[in-house]
Amino acid sequence: MIRFTNRRRGFMAALAAVVLTCHGWAQEGTIEIIDKVAGLIPISISGYTGEVDQTLKFDLEVAGFSLVSDDKARFTLAGKNGTQVEGTLQDSSRRSILARAYPGGTPRLQAHTLADDVVQAVTGRPGIARTKLAFKHETGQRNRNNEMISEIFVADYDGANAFQLTQDGTIARSPAWQPGHRTLFYTSFRPGRPCIYSHDLASGARSPISNFNGMNDGAAISPDGTKVAMVLSKGGSPDIWVGNVDGSGLRQLTSTREAESSPCWSPDGRTLCFSSSEGGGTRLQLVDVNGGAMRPLSIGGLRGATEPDWSPDGKWIAFTRMGGAKNFELYRVAAKGGVAERIGDGEDPSWAPNSRTLAVIRRQGNVRKLSLLDAFTRGTKDVATISGSCGQPSWAK
Amino acid sequence: MWPRFRGVAASPVGPNDSPPAMQHTMKRLLHVGFLGLLAALALASSGCKSRPKNITAIPGSEGRGGTSTDLTQGNPLPPTVGGGNTGGSSTVLPPPQGTRYNPNQGGTGIDLPPVTNPGPGPDAVGNTALPGGNIRDGMREDTEMFRGNTVYFDYDKSAVKKSEVAKLAAVAEYLKANPSSKLEVAGHCDERGTEGYNLALGERRALSIRESLLNMGVSSANVTTVSFGEARPVDPAQNDAAYAKNRRGEFILLTPIGSNPVQ
Repeated sequence: MIRFTNRRRGFMAALAAVVLTCHGWAQEGTIEIIDKVAGLIPISISGYTGEVDQTLKFDLEVAGFSLVSDDKARFTLAGKNGTQVEGTLQDSSRRSILARAYPGGTPRLQAHTLADDVVQAVTGRPGIARTKLAFKHETGQRNRNNEMISEIFVADYDGANAFQLTQDGTIARSPAWQPGHRTLFYTSFRPGRPCIYSHDLASGARSPISNFNGMNDGAAISPDGTKVAMVLSKGGSPDIWVGNVDGSGLRQLTSTREAESSPCWSPDGRTLCFSSSEGGGTRLQLVDVNGGAMRPLSIGGLRGATEPDWSPDGKWIAFTRMGGAKNFELYRVAAKGGVAERIGDGEDPSWAPNSRTLAVIRRQGNVRKLSLLDAFTRGTKDVATISGSCGQPSWAK
Repeated sequence: MWPRFRGVAASPVGPNDSPPAMQHTMKRLLHVGFLGLLAALALASSGCKSRPKNITAIPGSEGRGGTSTDLTQGNPLPPTVGGGNTGGSSTVLPPPQGTRYNPNQGGTGIDLPPVTNPGPGPDAVGNTALPGGNIRDGMREDTEMFRGNTVYFDYDKSAVKKSEVAKLAAVAEYLKANPSSKLEVAGHCDERGTEGYNLALGERRALSIRESLLNMGVSSANVTTVSFGEARPVDPAQNDAAYAKNRRGEFILLTPIGSNPVQ
C-alpha cells in the first residue's frame, strides 16, 4: 500500500512575514555555471533537521550533487528550519551565491523550493523538486476476474503526497499528462474492455475518448496539448493513430502486420517516435504526424529497443532495451540517431522537464520500484515513500 | 560577513520550473545592492499570480492530496466517441444442417459449412479490421465454454503453434454453427519483456488467433480482441513452468441475451 505522507496545506499564509533586504555580494557573471557535468557536484549541507533535512538531501542527490563534509565540498549549504526554511549557499572560496528564507507552504515545500534555487544557482537550470509524477500502482490484489488490480496515482516527484486518482478495481494503466493542463489520459478496463479516458484532475470528471474493439492504449498527448497519439488495433493490427484530444478526427499513421507500441512526441509536435516489431525484433521508428512512411531511428545496431521517450529539449530519446528476458537496460540516443549511450538499468523511462532526470521502473524480485535516474551522472535513487509495485511513470510537463 | 536573508515565499503549487518570482529575484540579487520591503513584496506576489506558459499546474498543496478525486463511477459510459468504426455487417448466418459440435472435442477434418458472410477481408498489408460498435452490447459473457481451448504460445512469439490448431478449429466450428454468437480473444504474456512491449505482444497473440479463426471460415465481424499484457497471470510464480502457463490466448464467448445456442 501507499503510505500517505499527505497533509493538508494552506496557501502561502506567511507572505507578510518576509524579511528583506538584499546584499550586494554577487556580481553578474561570478556564479559558476556547471552545465552537463559528468561528475557529481560535492556539496555539504548543515543545520537542517527532520523532514526538511531529508527532503533537501533527496532533492540535491537526485539533481546530481553528492553529500560530503565541509572540507571536501565545492559548495556549502547552511541554514535552519523552523517556522521557515533558510539557506545560504557558498562556493569553495566562501563567496555567497544564495541567501534566502522560505516562509509559507509546508516545511517540505519550503525545502523543495530552496533545493530548486540551489540547482538553478549552480547549474543555471530550473530544478524539478516541485514537479509531479503519475504512475500505475499495484497492491498485488486481484479482482473477481483474476486481474491484478492496478490504479493510477499522482504524487510529488519524490513520492510524497501521493493520491489515488482511479478507483476502478480493475486494470488501469498507461497514464500520460496533457502538457499545460491538469488532465491525465490513461487506459482503464472499467467498461470491461480497455478504454482510454481523459480525466480532469480539478473537477474529477472523466470522459472516454477511445473505446473501440481491440486495443486502446498508449495515449501520448502532443506538446501543445491538442492531439493524442494512441495504439489502436481496430484496423486488425496494433497501429499508431492520431486524433484530437477528444478522440475525434482519427488518422492512421502506421499500417503494418506487426505491433507498434509506446508512441511519444517530438517537442515541436511534428514527429512521433515509437517501437515497432515490424521486420523482426523491436526497433525505434519515426513517423511524421502529417503522414508518410515510417523510418527507423538509428541506435547503433542495438536490438530490442522499446518504450521511447523524447526529452523536452528535443535532444534525446531515452528507451528501454530488452537485453534478455528479464534484463532491461536504459539508453539514450541523440534524437537524430547515432550510437546509443547506456545510462542505467530499468524500464519505461519518462523525462523530467529538465531533460536530465528520468523516472524509471526497476524490478526487484516481485516488486517494481519507482526510481529517479540522473542521465548526466547515472545516479539512481528509489522513491522510497511508495511501497507496492509501480509502473509506467509519466512526468508532468 | 554573514549575508542577510532576503525573503521569498515558497510557491505552494507545483509548477515545474522556478516561478518567475524566483528567477526574477535571482537577477535582481545580481544587479541590485539594496531593495526595499515594498518592492520585494510586490515582486513575490505578482510572481505567484502569473502562471508560466505550458506548465502543468497541479492541485496538490490545496489539500486535495490523499483524498481521491471523484470519479464518474457507476455511470454508464457515453457511446464511443470518435466514430470511424468500420467493420462487417452482422447478417445472421443460418445454422449449418446436421452439424452438432462439441467445442471441447477438437479435431480437424470436418467439412466446413459454406460461409456466406465472411465479413470484410484483409487490407493491403493483410490486416483484417476488427468489427465496429461494441461487440459486447446485448451479449452474455461466457468465459467457461472454451476454457479447455486455451491456446499457448512460445516465449516472445505470437504465431499459433501447430499443436494448438485443433483447439482453434473446435472454436471455429462452434462459431459457425452459432453465427449469432461472437467471440472475444484475450491475449496474455508472461512477465518477461517490458510492459509496453508485452501489451503489444498480447494483442498480437489475440490477433494471430483471430486470423486463424477467420481462415477457418469465421466471420471477421464476429471476432474481436483484447490484450491484458502481463496483468492477468494464471500463475504469478517466477519460473519457466509459470511463464509457459501465462503465455496464452483465452476465449470469451458472447451469446445474445435470451438465445439458445446450438450444441
